[in-house]
Amino acid sequence: MKNFTLRKTYHPYISPFDPCPPVREKTYYTPAQLYLGYQPQNLEQFSPKEALKAGTLWKVFYDPYYGPNEKRRGPYE
Amino acid sequence: MSNKQLPQEFYTMMEELQTLDFVLVELTLYLDTHPDDYNAITQFNEFSHARRILKNQFEEKFGPLQQFGNSYSDYPWNWNDPPWPWQI
Repeated sequence: MKNFTLRKTYHPYISPFDPCPPVREKTYYTPAQLYLGYQPQNLEQFSPKEALKAGTLWKVFYDPYYGPNEKRRGPYE
Repeated sequence: MSNKQLPQEFYTMMEELQTLDFVLVELTLYLDTHPDDYNAITQFNEFSHARRILKNQFEEKFGPLQQFGNSYSDYPWNWNDPPWPWQI
């Protein structure tokens, strides 16, 4: 399925006595290794220079943190 | 004291060394859990070879990187010359 994303959402309980405007949907990011389990061989790699910047050798594990309202610039939406 | 200035080449070679080291660290950790991944092992050996060559080139120009026999020494004994790693 093409629109796979590491970003997951959950809906907290909104109390009628909640003083602040409710945040109905909250998002969180899950690490790639949850979906990978035992790392398969010959995964696609970054070039050495990119790997140094990205912090990992394999593209699939590249997952920089962006705030909820920050635009994600990484390969994963 | 000596305000020794290092050429730009020092920094480019140091970054290249750092890049190769990072790949070697990643591959080492990967190979610990994947001992029979042939391609990764060949890649590891290629990078290890490249790192050895770069280290020799670096040390010819800028002096020893490591001690206790891991690097040749110039004359006079200069492994403790600045810059130290945190001074670079």
